[in-house]
Amino acid sequence: MTLGYILMQNLRRNPSRTALTVVAFALPMAIFVAAISCVVALKEIGESNAKQLRLAVHDKTTLTNGLPERKRREIEALDPDRKRLRAVCGMRWFGGRVPDEQNTLTSLAADVDTFPVVYSDAGMTETDVEAWERERRACVVGRAIAEQYEWSVGDRVELHSTVPPYLALEFRVVKIMTNPSVANYFFFRRGYLEESLKEAGSENPICNVFWVKCHSVEDLRWLQVEIDRLFAGTSEATKTEDESVFKSRFTQAMGDLPGLMEAMAVVVVVIIALVAGNTMMMSFRERTRELAVFKAIGFASGRIFAIVLGESVLLSLMGALIGIVPTAAILLVFPVRRLNYGPISSLEVSSDAIIASFAIALTVGLVSGLWPAIQSLRLQTTDALRRVA
Amino acid sequence: MALPLRYHWLSLFARKTTTLLTILVIAAVVGVFGWMMGFHAALRDSLSVAGDSRKLIVIKRGSTAESNSAVSPEEFNRLHQLSDVQVDPETGERLISPEMLVQVSLPRLRDGGATFANVAVRGVTKSAFKVHQNVSFAGNRTLGSREVIVGRAAAEQFGGLEIGETINLGHGGIRPYEITGYFSADGGPMESEIWGDLHSLMNSYNRSRYSSASLRLGDGADAKSVLERIEGPAIQLTGATETDYWDGQAKWIRIYIGIAGGLVAVMSLAAVFSIANTMYSMVAGRTREVAMLRTIGYSGGQVLWGFVIESVLLSLIGGVLGCLACGAWLSLVGNTKDMFGATTFTTLAFKISMNWRIVLASLILVSVVGVCGALLPAVRAARLEIVAALREP
Repeated sequence: MTLGYILMQNLRRNPSRTALTVVAFALPMAIFVAAISCVVALKEIGESNAKQLRLAVHDKTTLTNGLPERKRREIEALDPDRKRLRAVCGMRWFGGRVPDEQNTLTSLAADVDTFPVVYSDAGMTETDVEAWERERRACVVGRAIAEQYEWSVGDRVELHSTVPPYLALEFRVVKIMTNPSVANYFFFRRGYLEESLKEAGSENPICNVFWVKCHSVEDLRWLQVEIDRLFAGTSEATKTEDESVFKSRFTQAMGDLPGLMEAMAVVVVVIIALVAGNTMMMSFRERTRELAVFKAIGFASGRIFAIVLGESVLLSLMGALIGIVPTAAILLVFPVRRLNYGPISSLEVSSDAIIASFAIALTVGLVSGLWPAIQSLRLQTTDALRRVA
Repeated sequence: MALPLRYHWLSLFARKTTTLLTILVIAAVVGVFGWMMGFHAALRDSLSVAGDSRKLIVIKRGSTAESNSAVSPEEFNRLHQLSDVQVDPETGERLISPEMLVQVSLPRLRDGGATFANVAVRGVTKSAFKVHQNVSFAGNRTLGSREVIVGRAAAEQFGGLEIGETINLGHGGIRPYEITGYFSADGGPMESEIWGDLHSLMNSYNRSRYSSASLRLGDGADAKSVLERIEGPAIQLTGATETDYWDGQAKWIRIYIGIAGGLVAVMSLAAVFSIANTMYSMVAGRTREVAMLRTIGYSGGQVLWGFVIESVLLSLIGGVLGCLACGAWLSLVGNTKDMFGATTFTTLAFKISMNWRIVLASLILVSVVGVCGALLPAVRAARLEIVAALREP
């Protein structure tokens, strides 16, 4: 009798219990894979943002107070030789909506010359940059937005601003950004916006945020202090932050869903551990005599240990498979980014998340089978044979 | 005669480990459920308080919220044509309040200032206190040009808002304002705001336009027809009753609750399976006992009910434990939370708390879960072949 044969027989013996355990294990596992995907995706975006070495400079009181565009030159003047900073890109909030739609897109007007350098995660090729520089109405659009409205490169699109004076502008898509960290962004040239504002009679060239791209982490820390010091005490006092801190303002403001996902992941692991542990305790108790028989007819203790532990691991992996595969498939077919809900729109099932989920399932299987397995080692054959289930 | 409750109670403790593990599964699910219900209730209460259907919020066409609306004084003055607005009996003026909404970035107290929240700063005149009837403020309603008053929810959750402290507002945060009092708004969204004198704040933030106007409808006036006039050619603004306005702002909140609710539903289902598993094992382990009960005259139906009752007992223990855990979490780890409206760009602070309604809802949920989980195993117990079962080892 091979180990595999015994394990399969054991699982088949009480099919309803096996089925119930597997389902009770699979459902929380389905939550786990979604939750951990969210956590992994955000971590990846965080890392990719950290690699970008960007600082966000904005008004000290609030983002909605604009800073005059000349600030860019003043920031650049801090490091005239460009030893510490690579480029500064001013951005102004447009808050555009597709006509007759409710959703306000994260649409920003960016300085045309520095945008491709400062936002290198937009992944613009030389041809893209050429088109961006040539076309006055050029816009680069994140994949989530492009998919939602079925836009592709070359399309003419129109957005209506939700901030005074509520301009309606037309753009031409020159690039679809695929990087998850910019999947929900819409960038266009700030010059175009300022000219249009001037035509509408409200000339006031300001930026809500200046992105400062640095050469190294040390330069970033130095600039962070120096920029705020430069403007302190003036009516244009600034606050300079890491990109991750800056973005956490928004995830927190949308209810901190990543935090909820992390908490859920923990709760779910506790639940599956309890479910698996419960089943293993029940199976072990009912089979004490049988295990004693195995011992009596000469099975080595190690083999009995493997039978008990193997069953638990097998159950957990089956549960994991049934929970993870459909969830992952659903999330691949209907990506969450279609919800257009900022904090989790970058959620995509990654291989890392799937591996992590199986690893958790395996660990839970091992841990929950461990106690009964150790009990089986301690089994006194004579006592156990005498025991009544 | 039905089986005595004591019998079921003691049966639960015959297999301590299994019972305990099942109870813990249920407790974990109920803990999350309770938290989510609390969250939902807190928001619903806060937003329904805001739901004053006799109050209109008027904003600029094309804008989506007070924070991105700009209404010029001329446009504001056109609102005085409206006849269906309540008249202040003291002054004889129409109750229309010009307001400006800006933001200030303040540290959250719950994480020791690691993150910042965008808190609304509303510039108001004396008339605001008459239009926003749920706002109650004991002090002088004519705010000094360098003083602000703070909503209670904001004062509890964001840093630097004690009475007597100064807060820096305006461009670059260089205009100090002294905090002179707290106001409440029945727990509505305005309790998360800071109020100051309209003209002083407009000056500090360099603005020449208002953000919005709020007005009280006169007795018997129809909100819909007033809104039609506001949108009409003579005024050319847009607006909504306060109820509708906040309903429209609840988008993030609805998605968040939807996701959390979905997760709880899946976990509850898992709990059903876990209970079914435990109950099957209980039935299997007590085959002879059940047969004995049948022999001494208990009917199949009574046995069936017996197992269902046992399962519900088990679930209720888990439910109570879960509610206690949730309550402990809220009081130890923290019960404050804040969220943006869909387009307001300012945060809405609220507190999650356990109340009897939530406990009751949780216990009802676990009872249903307990019944669902027990049904099939109990049917199996009721249908046992008595003679064969008695012969089993």
